[in-house]
Amino acid sequence: MPSNWDYVFAAYGIAAVTLLAYWRHLARRARALAARRPPKPRAA
Amino acid sequence: MTRALGWLAALGLVAGLAAGFGYAPRETVQGNVQRIMYLHVPAVLTAYLAFGLVLAGSIGYLATRRPGWDRLAGAAGEIGVLFTGLTIVSGSIWGKPTWGTWWTWDARLTSTAVLFLVYVGYLLLRSLIEDPEARGRYAAVVGIVGAVNVPIVHFSVKWWRALHQPSTILGPERSPIDPAIGLALFVNWVAFTLLFAYFLSRRMEIARLEEQT
Repeated sequence: MPSNWDYVFAAYGIAAVTLLAYWRHLARRARALAARRPPKPRAA
Repeated sequence: MTRALGWLAALGLVAGLAAGFGYAPRETVQGNVQRIMYLHVPAVLTAYLAFGLVLAGSIGYLATRRPGWDRLAGAAGEIGVLFTGLTIVSGSIWGKPTWGTWWTWDARLTSTAVLFLVYVGYLLLRSLIEDPEARGRYAAVVGIVGAVNVPIVHFSVKWWRALHQPSTILGPERSPIDPAIGLALFVNWVAFTLLFAYFLSRRMEIARLEEQT
């Protein structure tokens, strides 16, 4: 059986890109929502 | 808490890569392509966990009408779709050198594709309904009905003649896999579960902020 490393790297590469993209999507969405929230009123 | 989960997940993934590529031996029959298993199997187990939480969140919402249950179901559904997609893609890449084809209408593959589409539909339904109460109610019904697919996917290799191999770790018999391969699989499963918990925590927090704005 040949090593087929290209298939292994393709599978792990696609998984890494997908998971990183989802992580970045969550981070951007959280930042956008935090920026939209009104600032807390200052204590006198 | 969420940040700590993120770091634990990152450490787990590094340990998983080390276990899968450094510690686990080269499989005798398939060669190195078998190492895709350390991605493929944890991905599907994580998807099962996610859809189990969709079921729990859906039942919880219908019983209590508390929005937290709906947030749990929605967040778990989104992440479940992500991991089911990874399962299908990694399985397809593994199938080409071992079965000679990227895809076949085998019972396991077909039921997994149906599972993926059902939860894509679940997410579409959630995105189409604006009223939070109606969205939670309709999505909960789909979340409960959709969960029926999980045991169908898992037992499909037993119930029908399939090209996909039967379960080796969640089957009733003692697992026949080499202990080193089993340990590498376990480390990767823990890492994926931690990553799932991290994503779930962040996604639920985002859903909470979305409800406030």
